[in-house]
Amino acid sequence: MKNKQKEKEIKWIFFLVMAVFLIFLLVPVCRLFLKSFEGKEGLTLAHYREVFTGRGFLTAFAHSLVISSVSAVVTTILAFVLAYTIHYTNAAAGYKKLIRKAAVLPMLLPTITYGFAIIYSFGKQGLLTQLFGRQLFEIYGFYGLLLGYVIYTLPVSFLLVSNTMEYVDKKFSVVSRIMGDKPFSTFIGTVVRPLLGTLGASFVQCFFLCFTDYGIPASVGGEYEVVATVLYNQMLGSIPDFNTGSAVAMLMLLPSVLTIALLHYLEKYNIRYHKISHVEISKNRIRDVILGIASGLILLCILSVFLVIFVVPLVNEWPYRMEVTFEHVKNILTDKSLIGVYKNSLVVAGLTALAGSLLTYGAALATARSKLSPKLKQAIENISLITNTIPGMVIGIAYMLVFTGTPLQNTLAVIVICNVIHFFSTPYLMIKNSLSKMNASWETTAILMGDTWLKTIVRVVTPNAMATILEVFSYYFVNAMVTVSAVVFIAGARTMVVTTKIKELQYYTKFNEIFVLSLLILFTNMLAKAVINYVATDRKKKMEESGL
Amino acid sequence: MKHGKKALAFTLAAGVTAVSLLAGCGAKESEVVIYTNADDEAIEAMKETLDENGYEGKYLMQSFGTSELGGKLLAEGADIEADMVTMSSFYLESAEENNDMFLDLAFEANALEEYPAYYTPITAQEGAIIVNTEMMEQNNLPMPTCIRDLANPVYEGFISVTDIQSSSTAWLLVQALISEYGEEEATNILADIYKNAGPHIESSGSAPLKKVRAGEVAIGFGLRHQAVADKEDGLPIDYVDPTEGNFSLTESVAVIDKGEKTNALAMEMAECIITKGRAKLLETYPLAVYERETSDSEHMSAYPKVFEEKLTAELLEKHQQISENAKALVK
Repeated sequence: MKNKQKEKEIKWIFFLVMAVFLIFLLVPVCRLFLKSFEGKEGLTLAHYREVFTGRGFLTAFAHSLVISSVSAVVTTILAFVLAYTIHYTNAAAGYKKLIRKAAVLPMLLPTITYGFAIIYSFGKQGLLTQLFGRQLFEIYGFYGLLLGYVIYTLPVSFLLVSNTMEYVDKKFSVVSRIMGDKPFSTFIGTVVRPLLGTLGASFVQCFFLCFTDYGIPASVGGEYEVVATVLYNQMLGSIPDFNTGSAVAMLMLLPSVLTIALLHYLEKYNIRYHKISHVEISKNRIRDVILGIASGLILLCILSVFLVIFVVPLVNEWPYRMEVTFEHVKNILTDKSLIGVYKNSLVVAGLTALAGSLLTYGAALATARSKLSPKLKQAIENISLITNTIPGMVIGIAYMLVFTGTPLQNTLAVIVICNVIHFFSTPYLMIKNSLSKMNASWETTAILMGDTWLKTIVRVVTPNAMATILEVFSYYFVNAMVTVSAVVFIAGARTMVVTTKIKELQYYTKFNEIFVLSLLILFTNMLAKAVINYVATDRKKKMEESGL
Repeated sequence: MKHGKKALAFTLAAGVTAVSLLAGCGAKESEVVIYTNADDEAIEAMKETLDENGYEGKYLMQSFGTSELGGKLLAEGADIEADMVTMSSFYLESAEENNDMFLDLAFEANALEEYPAYYTPITAQEGAIIVNTEMMEQNNLPMPTCIRDLANPVYEGFISVTDIQSSSTAWLLVQALISEYGEEEATNILADIYKNAGPHIESSGSAPLKKVRAGEVAIGFGLRHQAVADKEDGLPIDYVDPTEGNFSLTESVAVIDKGEKTNALAMEMAECIITKGRAKLLETYPLAVYERETSDSEHMSAYPKVFEEKLTAELLEKHQQISENAKALVK
């Protein structure tokens, strides 16, 4: 009887999640799929033929695979070093806190500013070029892309790796050492191996973020052509062509098919633990110092790129008129239309965070804490991956094609839904990872004791997952604040947000104003994170007081 | 269970707030919504004209990049939020062809050239060579006088141009080369220019100017009026009117056919911008477009020229192919 009840609830959640994706992901994607075969007289393969015979498509595709893979590997390694410093060394608590904060900082800024930031830092007249007295490296092409992508993806990778590392049982390391293992095999066996699933997931997330990003190659791609640029030229070039563009978009989904297989394989490396153990980390000054310095260097490199964002708006006209002025800051902040778009941004970000947390939690409960059939679970896994592999521009255009003429057109609601779907993948992985690390027998125990499944989820699982849920909430919030690629197509004149405003300024080449608005977004995000943190600690205290 | 109730109450409350917030956004439907890809100066001129003629508060102007607005016109058709758009003429034509979405203009514009019944130009924008004077000096570069000069190997690594695949600004350069030297020679010159530009072949029409401004390159090809503005602003920017000619592209106004829901004010405003706003627009975009206009502004370009063939999508596609051939030559 109880068993039946349980099946029912999780099934409801599952079908609800699926319904959302059916309407807001599957329908738009299928619309594009059809579009890629639409010809003047019925179905045709002409658009695909055009893509393959066009100059350089295959080269660009190969370039994309290479640069995205390299970036993903580099990012994951760097993220691992940062997370390892936090969880496996005796570095000062304050320093660890700083690493946590600094590693996710790039995420709080709109990606639209990354390209400018790199040019204005490392370019011929760049801030860092001037500080060092020479250009450090050629920023156009492979290395510029690599730098841009690593900065772009490091926060995501760090969140995933650090999140899982928190749940890895440190006791195994102790046991391994006592058993006389060499340090290296202890490291591989008790740190890397339990993390393999997450490291794989991090690689995949970063890969697709790079693979689908258009903004960074547009600024620093140079002659290293990537597939996202081809997509842009076809979809929105001087002769916009959705048919051929859709064909490119469909081809860009191909790597995700391979990835689904890869992730499926890595899944078995995810290990469950009974509880988070707090083990004294062994004393090792050398290790602490080396890792501390390595982490410091990584973050210094990344943050130095953003230094320019703080400097440029405060001088008259970088790099030629360097007198300090607050004119730009004043100009933009006194713009009357700004209040409206800022309010829209806050509403969109807040609602995205709320709806996103609910959706990802529901989906993760279904995959990580239910006895639904593996096939149904796999469906959610695949959806999660697909949301990650569709470029924002493509989602935006698909939404226009599908929802134009419906009551959803030009509402904040459609922007919220779009964001929730677009950013589903990473937060879903975060929650799923933390849920699957929790003891698998809680529900069974609870049911034996007479509690319903729902009660167990509400009373035991949710409180234990709350830290991650809040993390997801803030992930959605900041991403909704900084995203532009899809939103720019579905925002109407009354539903514009701050980033679409930045996009406008970009066309007038007003960098000062762009950087000021970016800083506004940055500070908003920092404030939001601080509030969420406060709520989290406050809640924790209450839980402790009530003896839970 | 207390926790569950609380969570439920919270979710409900949030849901209610969300719905009420979203519902609150539909107010003021009667305003004419204007989508535009125009530059800041043109938007200011249009706004001032509309405000001076009694339309203040009766419209909402929203600007987009050319590619985004192009995408919206194509995807949304007559369901677009805007009642009126101003956009590169050429995109309006393909939008009309695909979606049959514009009303014929209800007023006589008297343009010098002949345009389709559903749009008429607000501005004509010319191309020019843009230079960063400090970079030129620092690197001892000779001042170019024509587009062909940009093919000179001394400029290798110092030039930025736009890709005609992604932005129609590049068309101004390609038209000039083809009309002066013929298709074959134009291909060769273009190949050498691309070679010189290397990593600075940009997808956005305004990117070359950005790179010139940032001191990343010394020379760019872009929209003339933007360089004029920078120069007057006191930046180390100057411009050269190429002897092959300053070719131009127009941006136009069109009114969306929304059937019964068409806002009558939109057509009035379009007329107002054309009949009363052109004087202001001419200050930034000095090229005469209408019969009553004379081009006597100090900002006039030296060699205004028009391509002999009509600027159609087919012609653009043909010129794109020439540019692709040039790229292939580089490799």
